[in-house]
Amino acid sequence: MTMLAPFFARLQSSGVATTIGQSQLLTGLLSSIHLLGLALLVGGTLVSSLRLLGVILPDRPVAEVTGAPGRGIVIGLVISVVSGLLLFAPRASTAVQNGIFQVKMLLLSAAALFYFAFYRNVARGGDDARLRLRFTGALGIVLWFGVVLAGCAFILLE
Amino acid sequence: MSLMSLCTWVEGTPIGLFVRESLWGFPTLVAIHILGLAVSAGTVVWFDLRLLGVSMRRSPVSAVYRQLMPWAFGGFFVMFVTGSLLVSGAATAAYGNLYFRIKGSALLLAGANALVYHAVTERRIAQWDGAERPPLAARMAGLISVALWAIVIVAGRMMSYTLYSH
Repeated sequence: MTMLAPFFARLQSSGVATTIGQSQLLTGLLSSIHLLGLALLVGGTLVSSLRLLGVILPDRPVAEVTGAPGRGIVIGLVISVVSGLLLFAPRASTAVQNGIFQVKMLLLSAAALFYFAFYRNVARGGDDARLRLRFTGALGIVLWFGVVLAGCAFILLE
Repeated sequence: MSLMSLCTWVEGTPIGLFVRESLWGFPTLVAIHILGLAVSAGTVVWFDLRLLGVSMRRSPVSAVYRQLMPWAFGGFFVMFVTGSLLVSGAATAAYGNLYFRIKGSALLLAGANALVYHAVTERRIAQWDGAERPPLAARMAGLISVALWAIVIVAGRMMSYTLYSH
């Protein structure tokens, strides 16, 4: 992290970061967009995972229920990451040293990696072995809700 | 008792004081509020998108409603209780806050939209339950709901920034 310190300092003093940091309205709007993306992402994960767990619509094919929420997860992730980067810029130097922020980034990386390397294929693959579906659904919920909780803790306890 | 004096009274209750002064009370309530919102709005939107003919198109609308709504209502209950507690700590400031008024109005309109859907549009659901693209009235109910929930989220976040600065 020390090696990257000059980069984060430069990012924080950039024109974009300064403009965002000085405007409560702009920060609030970006935070709203971040939350909209998060609702799409977490809602999509919840609906998709509840089907994998066999809790909702168990008589409908897995791919039929998880298809659209899967696209919602990716769209929500892109919205959250882009708005999150813009919110991060004005506080880059302090945020990277914050333990809760580091936990959030770690959970986010794990959740995104798990989604693209494993979850998406299981959700698309259809009616697979029940245990595999349930494990994937449960871990998906735990990881993404963990990201949300860490995000809340970072904003509120910063 | 006027609405403003009611707000002043709420702020002075032990609950209002706890929310305002406790070190952990406020952040814990906000975290639960956001989780409730993610569950509530996050599941409602997939029913709305079914009404719009975008998601789960081969599943009957009534089945999607039956399966998703317990989660949406559960999340809404959590969101409503924690939201009320959060407002109790800053009731007088919230009373005059533009974003709070927009959020409250959008929530009421979302409720009215749901009532109209159930009272009018849903009465003939037998005719279009399995349709990949439901009739215009159902699609409009879905579209209005998505738009109102987006307003609730944006106004709620802006309210938090103007009332609590984070």
